Amino acid sequence: MRRVLAILDGALRTWYRSKPTLFWTLAFPVLLMLLFGAIFSVSQDPTFDLHLQNQDIVDGKPTFLSKTFSDMLNETGIFNLYIVDSTENATLLIEEQGIQRMLIIPSGFEADCISQNASIILKMAPPEVETASATVRSVVDGVVEMFNAGLAGPSPPKVVTIEFESIVSESFQFIDWFAPGLIAMSLMTTGIFGAIGWNTKNRELGILKKLATTPLSKLEWIIGVVLYELVMAAISTVVILALGILVFDMKVLPSIYSIFLIVSGAIAFPGIGMVVARFVKESDAADAAANAITFPMMFLSGTFFPLEMMPDFLQQIAKVLPLTYLNNGLRDSMIYGNVTSALTNTAIMLGIGAFFIILGALITSWREE
Amino acid sequence: MEVAIEVKSLVKKYGNLTAVDGISFTVHKGEVFAFVGPNGAGKTTTVEILVCLRNLTSGEARVNGFNVQDRKGQREIRKRIGVLPQDFNTFDLLTVKENLIYYKKMYGHGIDIDKLIELVDLKDKTNALYKNLSGGLKKRLAIATALVNDPEVVFLDEPTTGLDPRARRDMWNLVKGLKEQGKTVFLTTHYMDEAETLADTVAIINLGKIIAMGTPSELISKHGGTKTLIVKKGGKPLYDLLHPILSEVKLESDGDVVAALKNESDLADAVLALNSRKTEFEELIIKRPNLEDVFLNLTGKKMVEGELH
Repeated sequence: MRRVLAILDGALRTWYRSKPTLFWTLAFPVLLMLLFGAIFSVSQDPTFDLHLQNQDIVDGKPTFLSKTFSDMLNETGIFNLYIVDSTENATLLIEEQGIQRMLIIPSGFEADCISQNASIILKMAPPEVETASATVRSVVDGVVEMFNAGLAGPSPPKVVTIEFESIVSESFQFIDWFAPGLIAMSLMTTGIFGAIGWNTKNRELGILKKLATTPLSKLEWIIGVVLYELVMAAISTVVILALGILVFDMKVLPSIYSIFLIVSGAIAFPGIGMVVARFVKESDAADAAANAITFPMMFLSGTFFPLEMMPDFLQQIAKVLPLTYLNNGLRDSMIYGNVTSALTNTAIMLGIGAFFIILGALITSWREE
Repeated sequence: MEVAIEVKSLVKKYGNLTAVDGISFTVHKGEVFAFVGPNGAGKTTTVEILVCLRNLTSGEARVNGFNVQDRKGQREIRKRIGVLPQDFNTFDLLTVKENLIYYKKMYGHGIDIDKLIELVDLKDKTNALYKNLSGGLKKRLAIATALVNDPEVVFLDEPTTGLDPRARRDMWNLVKGLKEQGKTVFLTTHYMDEAETLADTVAIINLGKIIAMGTPSELISKHGGTKTLIVKKGGKPLYDLLHPILSEVKLESDGDVVAALKNESDLADAVLALNSRKTEFEELIIKRPNLEDVFLNLTGKKMVEGELH
């Protein structure tokens, strides 16, 4: 224990005296939070640009029904409508002006409506290419349905309506969903980069070799470094929470269970880092290795978007990534107050941490061949 | 005399390369033992095997009676030795005192840190960061890190490489101090004068083999060759004068005349000859052979900064 504390003490003093490291420990979570907070905390509903060409013109005036349809589109409030003259060639216009979405009401629309055979044309990139298309499509679908219902005569009685009840606090916003992911991500990057970096730097200085000639054991060294990264993780977590609360009006606060989770994550990731550090000998390789691990994990573990949105095989991959469990556990406990999930995921993270720390101690060789 | 280090037929191979090729030696307690040789001769490999950093390929090595290949032996050895690895740098952003406390805590026993700082003459720099120390002071702190546990055997792997002459002399005094304290010192170096000044026993190692071992004076009298007479700026006239009298006379390109003094009477004959004529020269030097001559005679090569020429 005395040796572990000496390692922690030495690392903390070095951290505190190294101005760049000190700066980045605090600035990195601040940057992350400001950046993602600004991107994702959109409070008003999004609006989409939509070009509208009404070709159903009689005597220089749009027909009644085509006018009604375009008015209904406008009333949704979701579209910024740009009216395109009926004489323009739509295809040419899309090519030349780089128009992203165009809705065409073809000529003879009103007559076709009466013969119950009308259609409108929606030109845009398919949802697989652009995600906004899905939203636009469903809004237009809704308008068409209302329009059909209106044509069918007096509106039929509403049999089923939806009552939306939030299962989380009413005041939660997107930032509240996002902050737990950000905490998890910073636990990962701090832990993995920190452990690999500290180990590699000390190897290059010859300190590891020197320590190997003392009674210090590998396990003590690894635990000392993990403890140091635990302190670093605590600092970035506090920074993220403080910023979230002060700047973004965040409402979620970590419960005692999410603190367990944070600690377990702050142990597991440097544990992983120490195993990787065994295999990288130079600083450059260390950075590359840390990036190679953290980058995929960042995107595949539900940090930025829910796992359900990903293809099946990626969801399978996510299941073996430690960050997934930290993300799930933190969201479940911080947003939904789910204690079971918090404890289960804490146990998983601690298991991962213990596995890698012991693995690290077994495969790390003080001795050289 | 008690034995501190014992090595028998030690071999270390890296793949096809044999770094240490069957060396044997004994270091007694309280002795300063110097391992001298060019870069790549196998010095560091031997040290790293003795301080339990490397496995050996075959043979046997014991430190204070403990086998370096045995797990329990390694634990006992680590408690009792102090090591200055080659090219060692310690924590940049810790002070002199903090660095020493750090390493002392790895042992749980050892000497008073303030006294140690005084011993290596860093008292004024107690609270200075390592990165702000000069090269010589950094080396002094590095040596101090090898002393925190009050070790019985101290391993210093090239402690003076890259130091200026003054800093080197400081280090020599430190090593002499260790000997006075009764510590066993195992030192590697590629400076012959360093080995000659500090060591009780010198082992000259080349290409993984010990090619000569003994006290410096033993080695010199055995392999150093004869004394040499140097007539500075003697030039052609003096060469012509001495050539008939002495057996091996050379005229160097800078005008010095160099002659080997092979027989007892050679020096007297030469001085008489010099005296008999009015000759011009700058300085007359009688040079006794040193370890550099030993190395030159044994290997046919000169060693400069660890490289053979």
